[in-house]
Amino acid sequence: MTSLGGSSSSATEYTVRVPKNTSKKYNIMAFNSGDRVNCSTWTQARMERDMSARRIYGEEESAEGAAGSEFGKKQREEARRKKYGIVTREFKVEDQPWILKVNGKAGKRFKGLKKGGVTENASYYIFTQCPDGAFEAFPVHGWYNFTPQAKHRTLTAEEAEEEWGRRNKVVNHFSIMLQRRFREQERGGDDDDDENEKSGKKKKKGGGRGADLRIHDLEEDLEMSSDDSDSSMGDEGKTKAKKATGKGKAKKKRKSSDKEALEDSDDGDYEGLEVDYMSDESSNSDEELEKGKPSKGEHHPKGIDEASESEEESEEEKQNEEEAKEEEEEEEGKKTPVQTEKKKKKDSSGESESSDDSDIEGETASALFLKKRTPPKRGGRGSAGSSRTGSRPGTPSIDSASTSNTLRAAASKLEQGKRPTPGPSTDSPAAKRLKMEPSSQSPVPSGKSTPQPPSGKSTPSSSDVQLTEEAVRRYLIRKPMTTKDLLKKFQTKRTGLSSEQTVNVLAQILKRLNPERKNVNDKMHFYLTE
Amino acid sequence: MSDKTEVNLTGVKQSKGLWLVKVPKYLSLQWDKATEKGDVGKITIGKKQGKTEVHFSLNEELTAVGAAGEQDASLQVPREHPFTMHTVGGQTMAVFSQSNADEISLEGMVVHRAECRPAVNDNYMKLKKLQIKASTKPQRLSQQLERAVTTVFKPVANHDFNVEHEKKKKSEGKMVRAEWQVVLDMLFSAFEKHQYYNIKDLVDITKQPVTYLKEIMREIGTYNSKGPHKSTWELKPEYRHYQAAEEEEMQKA
Repeated sequence: MTSLGGSSSSATEYTVRVPKNTSKKYNIMAFNSGDRVNCSTWTQARMERDMSARRIYGEEESAEGAAGSEFGKKQREEARRKKYGIVTREFKVEDQPWILKVNGKAGKRFKGLKKGGVTENASYYIFTQCPDGAFEAFPVHGWYNFTPQAKHRTLTAEEAEEEWGRRNKVVNHFSIMLQRRFREQERGGDDDDDENEKSGKKKKKGGGRGADLRIHDLEEDLEMSSDDSDSSMGDEGKTKAKKATGKGKAKKKRKSSDKEALEDSDDGDYEGLEVDYMSDESSNSDEELEKGKPSKGEHHPKGIDEASESEEESEEEKQNEEEAKEEEEEEEGKKTPVQTEKKKKKDSSGESESSDDSDIEGETASALFLKKRTPPKRGGRGSAGSSRTGSRPGTPSIDSASTSNTLRAAASKLEQGKRPTPGPSTDSPAAKRLKMEPSSQSPVPSGKSTPQPPSGKSTPSSSDVQLTEEAVRRYLIRKPMTTKDLLKKFQTKRTGLSSEQTVNVLAQILKRLNPERKNVNDKMHFYLTE
Repeated sequence: MSDKTEVNLTGVKQSKGLWLVKVPKYLSLQWDKATEKGDVGKITIGKKQGKTEVHFSLNEELTAVGAAGEQDASLQVPREHPFTMHTVGGQTMAVFSQSNADEISLEGMVVHRAECRPAVNDNYMKLKKLQIKASTKPQRLSQQLERAVTTVFKPVANHDFNVEHEKKKKSEGKMVRAEWQVVLDMLFSAFEKHQYYNIKDLVDITKQPVTYLKEIMREIGTYNSKGPHKSTWELKPEYRHYQAAEEEEMQKA
């Protein structure tokens, strides 16, 4: 140490050493001056790396070893990643943030994030003065900015957005956190650990919130309604599972506060609700819920929204109930033109849904609709109405032979339907069917448009062969035939009837004719002698 | 959670004041060349007209730029470096060190910040010029080739790789069927290591023809056509007893 004297300057010289082999790596711990951190007041401190990012980066396979592992899985995964060019950033422990806990549990917590680019262009050195007066310079390995971590409860992003939307309406800001804490207490229940409070609370909030969001929809409503009905029946059920009911309570209360924020989305909730038409309970309980909630809500503007909601809902419910009661005429009378189309659709859907009514009736109705779509609404309404009227007598009498009844009924309906509409547009198959049905009823051979081929040797080669009693009689007189042969004669393509209809009509004709039977080659043949 | 290192706070308690000095890169490079003892230079702290002045002068032997021992007269690192001192107003800075054994200790608080500036002279300017030239050189450069590229792939009757492969196959010959029991033993030992295997891997391991191997596998194992381990073979439940699965079953029961 040499000292130089000078008039107005005094200087002391020190040697600077840069120790070569230090095992220690020096880092900077930087705080913000606003945090007023005084390291000398620290009595105890703990520091560790924050490894929470390892889950994201590190792909840890669940099974390594015998059970559940595949041979060569790692290589295959690597090859696959190379093929697709997936570059995964490595998880470097060195770059992970630090967590600093000062003065134990009750003290402060800091998070230290690494500052990048410190050692790129210039190097930082720490100069310390040794007891012998010389300076020692150590290079700085890394720079970490430490920020204090909040221990008070904060809102999550979703909650913050909700509250932001209500900032003009909410006057009492303290209640926001109070409610939140209240909610947590209920959900937390038995956990008394401080540990859980600090670290686990956040998870619970997130998890609970996620659970809230998940079950906020239909299931929740239905659950709620079931809870309500249970409670109305007896309080005994509540003591069964404490947690379940606790959850239910929490849900209810949460619903009350959630209602405030989720008002916008609630409208859509009830539209898609698939309410069983038979049971009116659930819809009623929903109404109860609706009315119960405004009382719990804080703010009056909500009431208006909810009122409008309940109006909408009741409208829908009313519609459902009316359909179930089948007061068709009243509805049609009340209908506004706008709603007719909706009603028609609901009608068809309602018809298809009502499982109590006969399936066959539904079939015919659908068949009718197929025919009736082209004519104007009046026709549609007429058919719907007539199908309805037809269903009432039709439903009680259903047996295996009812198909023919329904066919006849269908034919009569067609006729009825045809009468009010003056439209002469009849496609040929429909015309044929109409003409055929009544003709089949009357035994008199109707001299219709198609000429009947002369009985005898020549096989009928005309374009259409009518399935009439006369024709069948002719065949049976000529030679004995089985039913199959008869059917072959009256091919569906030629007669214009469907195979079912052919069968039915043929059966009727045979009944009437009552031919004699003969067994040839183990087959039943019919024949007539005249 | 797992290893929380207790921070040694003795440095802070002693209230050792530290300086954080920003040193230019070339200077730190020179410092790296220092001897074992580590002497790099001298620092002079003086008071001139009330102001504190700090000055650093580099040792003679470290002024040469280049390999150690060379005395390149033309290029020399400047020796004189006045320090610019600042106070740590905005930030509270502490220094902590981490040893190899993951022991963390708080060394002290930073009381002054300094920047080591070189005294500007011609020498320094030359140095800087060289540095700038080096940094502006592009990393990729285009070269002119003397001869044209001749690694165009010409059509070949049979590629080298293929020829070798065929020779190897011929030399090894077809895979011979070993005894049933022997193969079974091999398979069981293989399945002890991993649960799911591809048929190709099994062929590799056992060196058995595919049809024979499949026969055996059909007897003792099942084929997964769907699921996470697709198109793999695994042993039938009665043949396997994996530890982890057993424990789980015991827990469930």
